[in-house]
Amino acid sequence: MNVAVAGDMSFYSLVAGASLPVQLVMLILVIVSLFSWWYIFIKVATLKRAERDAEEFEKTFWMGGDLNKLYEGIASNHRKPQGMASIFEAGFKEFVRHRQQARMEISDVMEGARRAMRAAYNREMDDLDAHLPFLASVGSVSPYVGLFGTVWGIMNAFRGLSNVAQATLTQVAPGIAEALVATAIGLFAAIPAVIAYNRFASSVDRLSVRYESFMEEFTNILQRKS
Amino acid sequence: MLRTRENPEAIKAAALSLTVHLLLLGALLVSFSWKNVHPLTVADVELWDSLPESVQRPLPEPIKPPEPVVQEVPKPEPPKLEPLVEPEPQPVVDIALERKKQLLAEQKEKVLEQKRKQEEALKELQQEMLEDPAPTRSQNDALKKLQQETLSEDKSTGEQKIQASRAAANASVIGEFTSKIKAKIRGHVNKTLCGEGNPELKFEIGLMPTGELSGNPKIVKSSGNVACDDAVERAIRASEPLPVPADATVFSQFRNLKLTFRPNES
Repeated sequence: MNVAVAGDMSFYSLVAGASLPVQLVMLILVIVSLFSWWYIFIKVATLKRAERDAEEFEKTFWMGGDLNKLYEGIASNHRKPQGMASIFEAGFKEFVRHRQQARMEISDVMEGARRAMRAAYNREMDDLDAHLPFLASVGSVSPYVGLFGTVWGIMNAFRGLSNVAQATLTQVAPGIAEALVATAIGLFAAIPAVIAYNRFASSVDRLSVRYESFMEEFTNILQRKS
Repeated sequence: MLRTRENPEAIKAAALSLTVHLLLLGALLVSFSWKNVHPLTVADVELWDSLPESVQRPLPEPIKPPEPVVQEVPKPEPPKLEPLVEPEPQPVVDIALERKKQLLAEQKEKVLEQKRKQEEALKELQQEMLEDPAPTRSQNDALKKLQQETLSEDKSTGEQKIQASRAAANASVIGEFTSKIKAKIRGHVNKTLCGEGNPELKFEIGLMPTGELSGNPKIVKSSGNVACDDAVERAIRASEPLPVPADATVFSQFRNLKLTFRPNES
């Protein structure tokens, strides 16, 4: 780490001039930042699609058509049903299967359909919650990682001062600038991750409330049908 | 790592993520001016009342000023200015800090002009005295003063005199550089630390020909105030490189310089 020479301060030389641990920290942070943005864009797309699907499904469901027909439509689709459709499919399939066995009690039939829907709901929630813990960790940890790199770099910069008789700012300034790049990258990774995490968490919450209320209403409908 | 339902978005999201990072990098490179502009080395300019005479350099040929035509007029009441001094060739005092010929020439012209003015003043006075048979005391004084000035200036001229006064000039160079050193140090002293009064410190400073300190400055005589001593010592370090003469023979006096320093003296 050449702190004594205040050479050109190009961005490249700032990164290349840093000591190895600082460079490692920067590399880790850049990779983490790339991944967190990747997940952010993926989640934006999937959550938007899940909301749109839920809207569409509720519309067709409450239009009052034949449930059998709706089920056929969903089951015949080559694509695996998602969101509310998958909950409906699981519940209705269980309900039909139990009803075909004539000697089952109605409460048992309802209980089976409920369990099937609950399982489908959990699978859906798991998919919706995917990557949120990663974003949370990035948001909370990467500033510290960046700070670690900065502290390391500043320690190095000040150690270089011990050999000179006259300590001037020009001898430490490049080292500190190099070190601060690590903090900058850490913050750049953390800020979007935190914002995205909060946004996604609230969207997932709203979707889960919608799914649950749909489950309750559908259970009522099934009970009336049996 | 990815859920099956997320696969269709994966590539698009990766591209977007890369774009975001490239945008940030671009913003960093554009918004900061990463070019480090090295400031030009600031020249340390010091102003001096008396111009240091550099003895080392050969004096340029004295320029013959136009011989002043002083009319010897019969004086009704000849005062003591009878031996009207013919102004001898004017020495051109070289400025140690300015080596350029051009500046030298300007200097010469100035000196010449000064000389002429003095002569004119003399003439005027003489004429006045002619008109006024009893010159006033003040006029007499002024005349004497002028004569003395010209005389003293003449003293420093003449090559034989310079040869003779070489040793004295050496001493004067030493004195000049010592006062230069003191002034430079004084500029760096935090005077508030030395309080009121006029404390005196004696330092022994080892100097290198470059003007840098060859060792720690030693306090020979403290001012009695530790804070003041420290302040002066810091100032000595801060004023590196100190002004030292370029000539090796003169510099030998500065190798171990005993400096008497009064921080509050202006």
